[in-house]
Amino acid sequence: MIEDNKDQKNRKPAVPYDEDNYTHNIRKDNERKLDRRSFMKMMVGAAGVFAVSTLPWGAIAAKHLAAGDKRTYPKNKITALSDIPVGEAVEFAYPGEHDSALLVRLEEGTFKAYQNACTHLKCPVFWSKEEGELVCPCHHGLFDVHTGKPVAGPPKRPLPEIELAVERGTVYATGVKRYEA
Amino acid sequence: MKRSYYGVIFLSLVLLACIVFTQQVVNAFFYEQYVKVLVFAVLNILMFPLAFWIYRKERNVD
Repeated sequence: MIEDNKDQKNRKPAVPYDEDNYTHNIRKDNERKLDRRSFMKMMVGAAGVFAVSTLPWGAIAAKHLAAGDKRTYPKNKITALSDIPVGEAVEFAYPGEHDSALLVRLEEGTFKAYQNACTHLKCPVFWSKEEGELVCPCHHGLFDVHTGKPVAGPPKRPLPEIELAVERGTVYATGVKRYEA
Repeated sequence: MKRSYYGVIFLSLVLLACIVFTQQVVNAFFYEQYVKVLVFAVLNILMFPLAFWIYRKERNVD
């Protein structure tokens, strides 16, 4: 390599050069490291990374499909009817202990419950009695309390609704509605 | 400086498709549409051999 460089120095450069790719003046190491071919190699590698990254998602989806897509949820007591006046809300966790949720009593016999992590950035959504809407304090996202659909602010997806049952003066959570939007 | 950039262009398109498919997989998973998840996951995995094939075809084209 050094010999080559010496030769090149001593040799009077031919004008025009004998080559047509104009690389005679590239002498630095790695100067052509990211050439066309390396770039293509990098793209193939990136495609491989993307392919591998979807494997867990596909595997979990296949598992859910194989299980018949029937998830069972526990029946959890939320609160007693006497503890939640009309127009008030109660926080609870369902189905897991970290899945915070909100139960709202709209009328005497009308309840609505949603998982209250805002669909924008997961801030806890609270019930605003004055506005009659579910409000996310972080970016002032509003949700319709009857449907869970976003009506204002950054969130674009509805809140997941929780299925309820009222038995003997107690409100129970019985499941999470299939999330479709 | 005659050079074929078809490989670069096609591989860029493949990578764009990868990004789109991955996004679709995550979205479909969130909405519990597991068949859609599988379809896009398989498409995404197929992108890799396609990319490799394009690379093999184009690497020695000057």
